[in-house]
Amino acid sequence: MSSIKPHRTAALAGLLGAAVLAAGCATKTMAPTAGVTDEYLLTVTRPGQLQVMDMQAHAILRSCDIPGKFGSGSIAPSPDGRTAFVLSNMWEDVYGIDIETCEVVFSAIQSGGDIRVKTFQSVAVSVDGRELYTVQNPVRHLPDRLEVLQPQLAVYNIADGLNAQPARTFPVNRRITKIAATATGEVILGGADVEAIDPRTGATRVVTALANWDRGPLWLPPDAFAMHSQGEHVNEYIMPYVTARFESEEWDFDAAEWWWGFSRVDLATGRAEQMEIFPLEFIIFTMVSDPNDRNILYGAFNTVSRHDVAKKETLAVEPLDHTYYAINISGDGSKLFIGGAGNDISIHDSASLAKIGSIQLPGDMSTADLRVARIRR
Amino acid sequence: MKHLKPLNKKAKRIDEAASQAEVDEVVAMQTVVGCTATVDPGWEIDPFGGMASLCQPMEADLYGCADSCWWPAQVPDTMSRYPDWGQGADRADQDWRKLDGIFEDND
Repeated sequence: MSSIKPHRTAALAGLLGAAVLAAGCATKTMAPTAGVTDEYLLTVTRPGQLQVMDMQAHAILRSCDIPGKFGSGSIAPSPDGRTAFVLSNMWEDVYGIDIETCEVVFSAIQSGGDIRVKTFQSVAVSVDGRELYTVQNPVRHLPDRLEVLQPQLAVYNIADGLNAQPARTFPVNRRITKIAATATGEVILGGADVEAIDPRTGATRVVTALANWDRGPLWLPPDAFAMHSQGEHVNEYIMPYVTARFESEEWDFDAAEWWWGFSRVDLATGRAEQMEIFPLEFIIFTMVSDPNDRNILYGAFNTVSRHDVAKKETLAVEPLDHTYYAINISGDGSKLFIGGAGNDISIHDSASLAKIGSIQLPGDMSTADLRVARIRR
Repeated sequence: MKHLKPLNKKAKRIDEAASQAEVDEVVAMQTVVGCTATVDPGWEIDPFGGMASLCQPMEADLYGCADSCWWPAQVPDTMSRYPDWGQGADRADQDWRKLDGIFEDND
């Protein structure tokens, strides 16, 4: 098993990976309406603009210039929806941008001196909107070598505004990508396992094990992946994974049951469920729950698909025009927005999965997020 | 390595890095991003033995591979070393002719 499993796991990870990044110019103005919640679709395009889009009119409302070079475009909207915190400048800096004025209201320059800091998508805002969290991966650049340093959670006070410095840092494990804040005051860390850290004390706990799960020898260790939005619209964090159950210790990969699964964390409580959810028949990059029925999941990559978690079935699947990395959904659950990778957002009816529109963008989204900001008027 | 003896400090560090204890720390790829010397199949064949689950077309995935440094051997590392490689070619499916190779001698 040891000679086969890692190879197959690596191949699958590769496929997931292959399958697997000043003032703005307003093109239209937002029209606030009292007593309603307005939704805005957010993404980042090359060479470095935050795109604010109208989810009803399927159009760009505003393009905000982001300081620095492109990368990665990971986005964390503030709880009030008015500020988008964007990871930029070669995966190093975080900028808070007012999505209605394009003003840069916050910045965290993470590298300094001979230490370069990269953040691999890990940006989150506390539920009260006061703190920003990043996972920093520092490397010291010495004349003759690179010294890899301890990754850490950095806690910033958003009120510090421009050029904010970390108020606190705590060591964390490597391989962390997407993170999310819980109502209980923890930060979920999606990595080899799904962990949580208390950003006041640095205490960590395993929410649900992945690389270290103990399913016995007949289960393939899960291959998990989280680069894009994780389910904030229903206050959850989804970490999808792939695994297989073998019939025997003969390790026959063709006869094994191959499954998609997920670790789903309830961000209200910090508790998680983990289960296999439907057979692995095609690749999915990002999953999103239906806000009207969390038993229903949608996924996207080369296809858009709908799944029933309880029945462990794929209900429908339709081809997409090309590869997309990210999927999100309108608050009423009626429309799916599929983006990332290239330079158009494909819009689909969630019931039929039929394509009902698109938004053309001026540059590739690459690894950028596709998030929804909700502003209560 | 048993017939090779490190003669200086750097060689000794390399020798230590190749020890079994270090090898044991190498784990299967999972949530790998960042410029690492990975051997990561994925542009040639998908996990089902076909090509339907590869990115389509490759231009849609081009910056997704370069910006995340997923395949630092196949595409330039725009995360650290060559951030301007895609300058002026914001839409790879239309601008791919503007993308040039990397020639170290011209740096």
